[in-house]
Amino acid sequence: MENFIYALELMGIGMGTVFVVLILVIELGKLLILIVNKFAPTEEKTQTIATATVPANIAQAISQAVNVITGGKGKVEKIEKK
Amino acid sequence: MENIWEKIYGMTALSDIIADPRFLIMYCLAFLLLYLGIKKEFEPLLLVPIAFGVLIANFPGGGMGVLGADGEGLVHYVKDGVEVSKNVYSMTLPEIAHDLGLMNYIYYALIKSGLLPPIIFMGVGALTDFGPMLRNLKLAIFGAGAQFGIFAVLLVASQFFTMKEAASLAIIGGADGPTAIFTTLKLAPHLLAPIAIAAYSYMALVPVIIPLVVKLTCSKKELMINMKEQDKLYPNKVEFKNMRVLKIVFPIAVTTIVAIIVPDAVALVGMLMFGNLLKEIGANTFRLFDTVSNGIMNAATVFLGLSVGATMTVDAFLNWTTLGIVAGGFLAFGFSIFGGIMLVKIMNLFTKKKINPLVGATGLSAVPMASRVANDIALKYDPKNHVLNYCMSSNVAGVIGSAVAAGILISFLG
Repeated sequence: MENFIYALELMGIGMGTVFVVLILVIELGKLLILIVNKFAPTEEKTQTIATATVPANIAQAISQAVNVITGGKGKVEKIEKK
Repeated sequence: MENIWEKIYGMTALSDIIADPRFLIMYCLAFLLLYLGIKKEFEPLLLVPIAFGVLIANFPGGGMGVLGADGEGLVHYVKDGVEVSKNVYSMTLPEIAHDLGLMNYIYYALIKSGLLPPIIFMGVGALTDFGPMLRNLKLAIFGAGAQFGIFAVLLVASQFFTMKEAASLAIIGGADGPTAIFTTLKLAPHLLAPIAIAAYSYMALVPVIIPLVVKLTCSKKELMINMKEQDKLYPNKVEFKNMRVLKIVFPIAVTTIVAIIVPDAVALVGMLMFGNLLKEIGANTFRLFDTVSNGIMNAATVFLGLSVGATMTVDAFLNWTTLGIVAGGFLAFGFSIFGGIMLVKIMNLFTKKKINPLVGATGLSAVPMASRVANDIALKYDPKNHVLNYCMSSNVAGVIGSAVAAGILISFLG
């Protein structure tokens, strides 16, 4: 019976804490959204190369692959289809 | 001539298997798990190594079974024909490898030391996208509702086990293998084998357990609630101007908050968020992200799966304590899904914007499988009702929730 009462207390404390932490995470998320929207409002778009021969989504995929492989240093200036 | 045949017979495992037919039960179990992993594709990355570990651990004379230490840390084994009892925690790793074999070496070096669970959390973090959660922040609360199973089973198990053992059993309800291992190592290390097996087996069986609980608790009308339609009716007013920066700041901020409130959860939440941060930074940390999410994660999964499977030996598995843990773990899992669903139902009573109860069912940690399973269920009722992104919000929050629950149990009982 003693264990049961202790387990019941732990249930209250445990569920309460989990709810509090996740509510804090939610509120923190909202706060971060506000802060980021205010101080870093523009998202850096990866360079997209519009060409007549290569569709935009493929051009963006190539551009991102080059970005990853070169550690952000390389840039795609032109894509040609032969 | 007869002597030679006797020697050959004695050399094989047959004589031991015939003397103890319980081995056959373990082979059947291993074959069943392999079938579920390979043919039914129930989380094969986990289930196949576990099942193969079960298989190779149960060949007498093979020396691949993990020897569990008793409450005092003693392992009992035969060396040069003499029965030996030693405290495993005072043995060196080379001694463990020499006396107990390869699998025990892996088990005691990587799992019993507590190394692998946080490492796996790091990999999980690297594979987790907090984007869906940030876009549907309110749904993250169901990650708390789905921890109900942990504490409900703690109540029941406290009548049959010590509090530390009951807490280790109950944490299976968090549906998170690394968390279950981490908690058990801190509270009841002698129960690690059956608890790890139960936790991982039920995680692999999420495609069976979630539909079962959903079928028992949800109506067709509830399961047809279309979240996108609800979003159109009651649009989310939050605007995201720079998701990339938000995703980078988020893991840092969450780690700080959780570390202040529940320091015992930092080993898990901190590593989870570190892995995620490596992913979100992008090109500058890509090499680290790549290593964490592929090389380290895959190696950890192989060793964890095999050695957890190898803990499932005849003596360790076929006893009442283990069977009680397996039954209790199932209840914890079921109650957790039930808890998430009930929280949705209660919230639906008071809000205009209705939520599909499947979002509550995925408050478990089993990411992303729980969400995929929930999405499949929703599509069965309405082929246009894609709930995956919404479920991912509660699902990812469930990882944080179960780690926090583990931290609370450790800090109160450890």
